Amino acid sequence: MLTIHLSIVIFLPLAAALLAAVLPGRAGRAGRWLVLAGTAGSLAYAVAMIADLDASSAGLQYVTDIAWISELGIRYSLGVDGLSLFMVALTTLLWFFATLAACLREWEHPRLFFFQLALAETAVLGVFCAQDLALFVLFFDLTLVPFYFLVGAWGERDRVRATTKLIIYTLVGSLLMLAGAVALGVLAAQESGGELSFALADLTERTLPEGTQQWIFVLFAAAFLVKMPAFPLHGWMPDAYRAAPIPVLILLSAVLSKLGAYGFLRVVLPILPDASLHFQEIVLVIAVVSILYGSALAFSQDEARLVVGYSSVAQLGFITLGIFSLDDLGAQGAVLQMVNHALVVGALFLVIGVLARRTGGSESLAQMGGIAMRAPVLAALFLVVGFATLAMPGTANFIGELLILFGAFESKLVFGIVASAGVALAAVYMIRFYQRAMHNRIGERVASRDLGVRELAVVAPLVLVIVALSVYPQLVLERTEAATVAKVERAQSLARGEPPAAPTAAAEGASP
Amino acid sequence: MSATTYAWLVLAFPLAGTLVIALGWRVLFGRLAGWLGSFAILLSFAAGVGALLELLALPEEERSLTASAFDYASTAGLDADLGILVDPLSVFMVLVVSGVSFLIHLYSVAYIASDGGYARFFSYLNFFVFSMLLLVLAGNFVLLIVGWAFVGAASYLLISFWYRRMTATAAGIKAFVINVVGDVGLVLATFLLFQATGALDYAGVFTGAEEAFAENDGTLVAACLLLLVGAFAKSAQIPLHTWLPDAMEGPTPVSALIHAATMVTAGVYLIARTHPLFELAPAAADVAAIIGTLTLVMAATIALVVTDLKRVIAYSTMSQIGYMVLGVSVFAYGAGLFHLMTHAFFKALLFMGAGSVIGAMGGEQSLDRMGGFRKAMPFTFATFTLGALALAGAPLLSGFFSKDEILAFTIDRGGGYVILGVVGYVAALITAFYAFRMVFRVFFGKAAPEAAELARGGIHHADPQNPATGEVEDSDVGFPGPEHHVAERSAPMAAAMAPLALLSVVAGLVAIPGVTDTLEHFLEPTFADSRFIDVHPSESAEYIGLAVGGAIGLLGIAIAYVLYMRRPGVTLALRDRLRPVHSFLARKWYFDELLDALFVRPAAGFGRFGRTVVESALVQGLLVGGASGAVRAGTSFARTIQSGYLRAYALLLFVGVSGLALYFLIASA
Repeated sequence: MLTIHLSIVIFLPLAAALLAAVLPGRAGRAGRWLVLAGTAGSLAYAVAMIADLDASSAGLQYVTDIAWISELGIRYSLGVDGLSLFMVALTTLLWFFATLAACLREWEHPRLFFFQLALAETAVLGVFCAQDLALFVLFFDLTLVPFYFLVGAWGERDRVRATTKLIIYTLVGSLLMLAGAVALGVLAAQESGGELSFALADLTERTLPEGTQQWIFVLFAAAFLVKMPAFPLHGWMPDAYRAAPIPVLILLSAVLSKLGAYGFLRVVLPILPDASLHFQEIVLVIAVVSILYGSALAFSQDEARLVVGYSSVAQLGFITLGIFSLDDLGAQGAVLQMVNHALVVGALFLVIGVLARRTGGSESLAQMGGIAMRAPVLAALFLVVGFATLAMPGTANFIGELLILFGAFESKLVFGIVASAGVALAAVYMIRFYQRAMHNRIGERVASRDLGVRELAVVAPLVLVIVALSVYPQLVLERTEAATVAKVERAQSLARGEPPAAPTAAAEGASP
Repeated sequence: MSATTYAWLVLAFPLAGTLVIALGWRVLFGRLAGWLGSFAILLSFAAGVGALLELLALPEEERSLTASAFDYASTAGLDADLGILVDPLSVFMVLVVSGVSFLIHLYSVAYIASDGGYARFFSYLNFFVFSMLLLVLAGNFVLLIVGWAFVGAASYLLISFWYRRMTATAAGIKAFVINVVGDVGLVLATFLLFQATGALDYAGVFTGAEEAFAENDGTLVAACLLLLVGAFAKSAQIPLHTWLPDAMEGPTPVSALIHAATMVTAGVYLIARTHPLFELAPAAADVAAIIGTLTLVMAATIALVVTDLKRVIAYSTMSQIGYMVLGVSVFAYGAGLFHLMTHAFFKALLFMGAGSVIGAMGGEQSLDRMGGFRKAMPFTFATFTLGALALAGAPLLSGFFSKDEILAFTIDRGGGYVILGVVGYVAALITAFYAFRMVFRVFFGKAAPEAAELARGGIHHADPQNPATGEVEDSDVGFPGPEHHVAERSAPMAAAMAPLALLSVVAGLVAIPGVTDTLEHFLEPTFADSRFIDVHPSESAEYIGLAVGGAIGLLGIAIAYVLYMRRPGVTLALRDRLRPVHSFLARKWYFDELLDALFVRPAAGFGRFGRTVVESALVQGLLVGGASGAVRAGTSFARTIQSGYLRAYALLLFVGVSGLALYFLIASA
């Protein structure tokens, strides 16, 4: 049971970028298209894997598991289940479109830029496929490096300050998680008397005492909540979002934010179930405050990017709410919403780029207005994305939110009810954004024109994916159900006061 | 074909129409988009008739069919498919919705002809019809919510159809957000029902609820009240009604279709559809009946003083829906739905007539400016008057039978319900009065200059401006088109109004007490499980009710005649005498101000507080300031080796992290 498939998916973008970086002279100009081809290859691979996935099994597939640093018990262990696979799919999809958008404009030092972009993809894919905690942490921290440069070197306004903040926040989080991971592996080995191992399957079986679980939980939660970001750990977000170039911003918001949510599901809930239950209400408070605060800030902003940025804080709050409802409905909703949020945020930032080209470069809502007039196609596509963002029933986002709310109602009714106010607030900030940009009196510097071919090529396919998923959200639900339910199983039975379900080999897919 | 196949077709035609018009707008020249849209709805209506015939061919107890296209969202114990329910109630709604919609499409073909957004208009309108049909055909709560929200979205798009008008976009966001509040109510209700019954489809929920809940069980009452939040938001009942008058910013056919004939009756449909729940929770049904009554009397009083022609009809709509809500909440389903149907006919007709008059006025909507259109617009005058007679409940017209049946049932329930019924009769007097206030002020009296111009064969053209604020406009996309249309000169408009005028007169014949009960008999299989199915007022009580109702209607018309025709000027004197009452009514009972103070301002204040105080102090200042301050102190040493390059700095950080990790590992191993 050893395949190379996942290694190909992970390293294909990096390999393509390395090749592009060494291409000589004139061929080097085509390098960016080589990088794009690399991400396209990973995307195609991911799609094929979705088609091929055994949906009924919660176990890992495409497993690679070889000893890497045997002295420390670290293994190069990769594998995907339904949950990971859709994270891989959304990563490759968003990376493809972000890279495509990047290909269509000019950059300083393009080789370096596209190299960093591809390196970041490899790192993120590594996180989603890693089945060894040490490998997970390594890839997780590796994502910092390319994003440090992507924001710091190619950023726009006030990039140094933004980069410093971004790095401080996420690095502190990462360091805490690193300490947590090391402690987890070591203490679990001591507790069980076995060999030092960071394999997630082993850690799931080696249950730690509740007190130990609790402080390790705090270390992990800090890293993941910063990454999302959740209130009040979102201080890096406004500056970083202002500074990042649009293609980078798409990845930052659509994909990187999912690392935190994914980490909770993959690592925290199965391995630290007692602590997850212990801290459930605190995390739910953070989630609900993020929803309300993010929404209120989103409808108070003038900068389009920050409207979307704060709306993401709210949406990630919903995802956290779903996960920490410790309920299989809520968790399933969270997984679906992770996919949905990635799609709509990616499309929204692309649209903001399009809008800015029609307002003389300004992304301020006060400068916009009436852009719909000569741009019916843009208006229609933006409208679809807007409705999806505010989770209008009929979109997959609604099904995600519905499941999250049902999960929250079932476990903690009060939190669910308070959170549902966020649904109405989402309508306020999204319609406000749409109207101020597309409708109302024409802004002074606005020159309305419809989408060009290049713009259409980037925006339209993403919107089509959003529509397709809205018609058939079951595509995600039926393939992620088994894996997701297995992740929350232990915490859920603890929460319900049932006898703790023993972690089954099948549930975590222990491999030989 | 089976009834369900026809039902899928009912949905397919408007959806196809939406997509074809939306994607083909560049090539659909002239009025093609309008004709295409109308044709799609006509086909949908025909398919509805097909479903009706198939249903009638079945024995009565088998007239409830379900069909499912595919699993929509089923996971972790929740199971929602893309399924429909075809029974007499849904087929009745399909026929009313698609029938009236077709006529309004036809009217719009001409009415909106010069507008820059012609194709967009019909694409939206087809989408609305699709959504509404989805709402009434949905076979489970999830799909109901989908249709429910789509209808709200279509309404939003059409209210702000003239999207460069700030008043229209403001009205749009208000309507949308209040509708979303309703959606949230439905979601919460659905959860409570799902938790108790484990089901999402209607049949499963209803049978499950009977097992799970005792009468007036707290959870069930809560669920029903939450359903009412959804119903009231959509049907503009207190306190979620404030969006409907503002929604008149949309083009007049939209007001006729969505904000009078179809969408706003969705709440009535919802209560009728979920009647097994309300019968198990009569406390919630009583709340609905009381709120319906409050709304019907409040809206009627406001309609007395409003001077914008379309807004008078809008308040009238709110009031009439109050009657319907009252009807279905006292379990007189047949009566409530009967009034839903007749109201759809005469209210659509009234709006169409108003649209014709507004066309003649060059876009002006104020009653104060109108007058004397009787001669210049004979067809509009005749049809509008028929509509007003039906609204007033004049004897033998459709509204006469339907409204009085609701009130007869209400009084027949006895006890406190008698009070509700009496209030209903009082409001009926007001209704008859304001209906003919419109007729007399628009069509009689001193002729407005626009009427004279129309009589001479011209039509008034004012400089394009916002009728509410007077802002200058142009007539390009996003504002109304340059031309105005009146029914007398546009065949499609007249062709749409004539059948509605006829129906406003004769539709009452399907339910004459003691003579015909076609409608109620047809609907019976849906309500067969109701405990109130055999509860009827006696025939004599119904006839007494009809006599009282007819007399009240005529009295109201007579008062209006005296005040506006015989002694004009008295109303102005009255207004001055009763200044506080008038301003209370003119400010619409201060509901806008109330909601503003309760929700809008606090939310906006919270956002402002977050932006100015929390973000700058707590998040940006304290946390980051502290962290970066510490880092700054540390890096002042490092700066000497850092050499100013970001890359080196990053490398240093990374090496630092790795070193730390190694240290931990080695120390622990």
